[in-house]
Amino acid sequence: MNETENSKERLMNPYAAGVCLGLVLLGSFLVLGAGLGASAGLARVGACLELCVFRSHTLASEYFGKWGQTPMQYYLVYMFVGVFFGALISVLLYSRFHVTLERGRSVSAKHRTILALVGGVIVGFASRLASGCTSGQALTGTAQLMTGSVVFLVCVFAGGYAMAFFVRRQWHD
Amino acid sequence: MIKTLFDTGALDSGTGFISALLIGMAFGFVLQRAGFGSSRRLAGVFYFKDMTVIKVMFTAVITAMLGLALCQRFGWIALDSVYLLPTVYGAQLVGGLIFGVGFVMSGWCPGTAAAGLAQGKIDALIFLGGAVLGSILFNELYALVKPLSQLGASGVLFVYDSLGMTQGAFLVGFTVVGILCFALCEYVERRQVGLAPMPNPMLKAVSLCLVVLAVTLLMTASSETPATGVSSLDESRMLQAVDEAQDHMEPEALADRLMAQDRSLLLVDVRPVGEYNQGHIRGAVHIPMADLHATLLPTKNAGTIVLYSNGMTHPAQARDSLARAGFSNVFILTDGLAGFQQRCLKPVSLRREPLSAAQTAAVNQWRVFFGRAQKTKTATPAAIETLTLPSAIIGTSWLADHLETPNLVVIDLRKQSEYSTSHIPGSLALGVENLRTHVLGLGSMLSPVDLLARQVSFMGIDPEDLVVLVPGEAVRDTTLAGLALERIGHTAYAILNGGFAQWVADERPVNADMPDVTLSQYPVRAEADQFTVTAATVLEAVRLSSVVIIDARPAKYYQGIKSDEARAGHIPGAVNRPYTEDVQTIDKVTTLKSVEDLARLYARLIPAKATHVIVYCRTGHQASQTVFVLKYLLAYTHVQWYDGGWSEWASKQALPIKSPAAAKP
Repeated sequence: MNETENSKERLMNPYAAGVCLGLVLLGSFLVLGAGLGASAGLARVGACLELCVFRSHTLASEYFGKWGQTPMQYYLVYMFVGVFFGALISVLLYSRFHVTLERGRSVSAKHRTILALVGGVIVGFASRLASGCTSGQALTGTAQLMTGSVVFLVCVFAGGYAMAFFVRRQWHD
Repeated sequence: MIKTLFDTGALDSGTGFISALLIGMAFGFVLQRAGFGSSRRLAGVFYFKDMTVIKVMFTAVITAMLGLALCQRFGWIALDSVYLLPTVYGAQLVGGLIFGVGFVMSGWCPGTAAAGLAQGKIDALIFLGGAVLGSILFNELYALVKPLSQLGASGVLFVYDSLGMTQGAFLVGFTVVGILCFALCEYVERRQVGLAPMPNPMLKAVSLCLVVLAVTLLMTASSETPATGVSSLDESRMLQAVDEAQDHMEPEALADRLMAQDRSLLLVDVRPVGEYNQGHIRGAVHIPMADLHATLLPTKNAGTIVLYSNGMTHPAQARDSLARAGFSNVFILTDGLAGFQQRCLKPVSLRREPLSAAQTAAVNQWRVFFGRAQKTKTATPAAIETLTLPSAIIGTSWLADHLETPNLVVIDLRKQSEYSTSHIPGSLALGVENLRTHVLGLGSMLSPVDLLARQVSFMGIDPEDLVVLVPGEAVRDTTLAGLALERIGHTAYAILNGGFAQWVADERPVNADMPDVTLSQYPVRAEADQFTVTAATVLEAVRLSSVVIIDARPAKYYQGIKSDEARAGHIPGAVNRPYTEDVQTIDKVTTLKSVEDLARLYARLIPAKATHVIVYCRTGHQASQTVFVLKYLLAYTHVQWYDGGWSEWASKQALPIKSPAAAKP
């Protein structure tokens, strides 16, 4: 994995990156009056897609329905778009754009694809259940000293470590 | 003090979108620079190979946590100005666990996957598609998971409160534990990978700064002056208020304020919705405990919010949680619903303690005003067997059976000439246009409450009477008359199904005699009308995507193809549901369509029974029919009526409109 080696050299010191990330979050508190969020943007995309295909069904549904007819008119949708472009700027400046399916050499692309997809579905579902993901709950809520968000943060790592053993092969080279 | 976009309600405006986009860009930039565009690196934390995730995340959390506390301490920002995430134990516990499973399987979380995508990672794209699917799955399974998603809802809870610590002590503790974690991460990485640790003067520098900051916060917390307004101080102030029962409202005070048209008062029933539907204090709205924080946000520190339940435990918990979130205007009803019934609604004759004449008069007034709730909720020993209306729509056989009942008043809404020729025996004539007048320059507005009370007095109607409204061909005449009755607080009315035509078709008796009427004195109760809204309210609703606005006019008016007004089109965001679609005429008998049909049709437009709905038409007449359908046939709980309608909206050029017809060339 030459690419990883290359980019590793150019990465920021993790503690410096952490301080920067914390300052971005603080800025979000002060300007928006709300923390960071990523999964809500994806959920809005989901609502929008469902609205396109089953309009009346979606409007009548209890969860997406309350977002009305224009679910994309939501600040976290724009934030999500921002995350992509912000990262893209960083890639263009410090790293390089390289189309890859990241996996260990001992597993097939299909194997890794299925895990990424199923993991995605689970994360999408769990984010709605908990009203947030690692950004919205773990990062934002913990910085706000919210009890439930700390519970979420602890549980993410608990769930992750519990499952890690069963999917370890995907990273074996 | 900083005013955030959350404060000003501008998060979902252009400014909010641009700010969120820029903050998102900074977020994405840092994620990528930290190396989070790689699933292998992210997953590495679960195999103790690469602890970057923990290092970055905890440094960020501690930085933002201390930064926010510092900003509060300096008085730059109040916690009120930040949306605080409410705690829902069950949802966050289960959600966190399965999130962790998905995280380790995919190696991504939503934010990092966006960064990964920017780097060209195919697995990030697949993950994002999966997450969108997962969101849709959640929506589809919502009926099943809703109980879990609300399990253990506790409002805004601070973790230092949950642990019984002070904020300062928690900050220091968390910072120290975090730094120990970092040291552990360095050690683990060195062992696992067999590499020398990154030379980390940065760790030392950052750690030192954070510890100094946290300790400073702790030190200043102990010597703070009252002016700085820290949350621990708010806490003590809250506890003091609780001690002095300043957070209580007495039932008598509540009853008086409700009767006195006090619009700054919001009475919230937090019991299960089933109990609310069986009966509640008049004027109360129902909000589930789990939704209190979000629903009440717009009324935070504006007016007075009173919470009640059967007892006082739940409202007190909810009140404390709201107070911690910065609400200073929440009260609980002393002794709950039971106390309200005992102290305000118990008949004077059944009371042991003697009451003064003024107290007796007050109780009698309350009993009249709040009578309906009492009737439906508890059968007090004094309740006399009286006739009640079986439903909002009654059949001709019920009316024929009860025509002789003394407190039943039948009102015929047909043309005067039709009434004079033949009518239901004892019924009174009323032209629906007589209920409307010009109000402050606006035509065809439902008359003010004092005029309506006077008019109803002319028909000899008393507050305890049951009114049956008989339509001709236009059901909307009776629904508008119904709203007139509701405006004066008279909700005991029903509509005769099929109207006079059905009465004749069923060969019920008719005559042409003029009935005897004794003038009554219907009391003026201005506070009863909670359903009529002004253009300002509608404008506010236009900005909130959560409110469903229904345009009840025929489609051509909605589309702006036809117009009788200053401008053509409709209110932005409004959906069209012509009132004519809700009625049917069979054999010259016009009735509302079946409840099943209507329920199906409206379920497509309105997401939930508790959804806030505003109905309008041109002058309020047609819309009254839709309001009746939604409220009484389909049991939507938050339906309002914009009486001014399109004729007002179109005439006020400053109000935004949507005109599909005009948009075409």
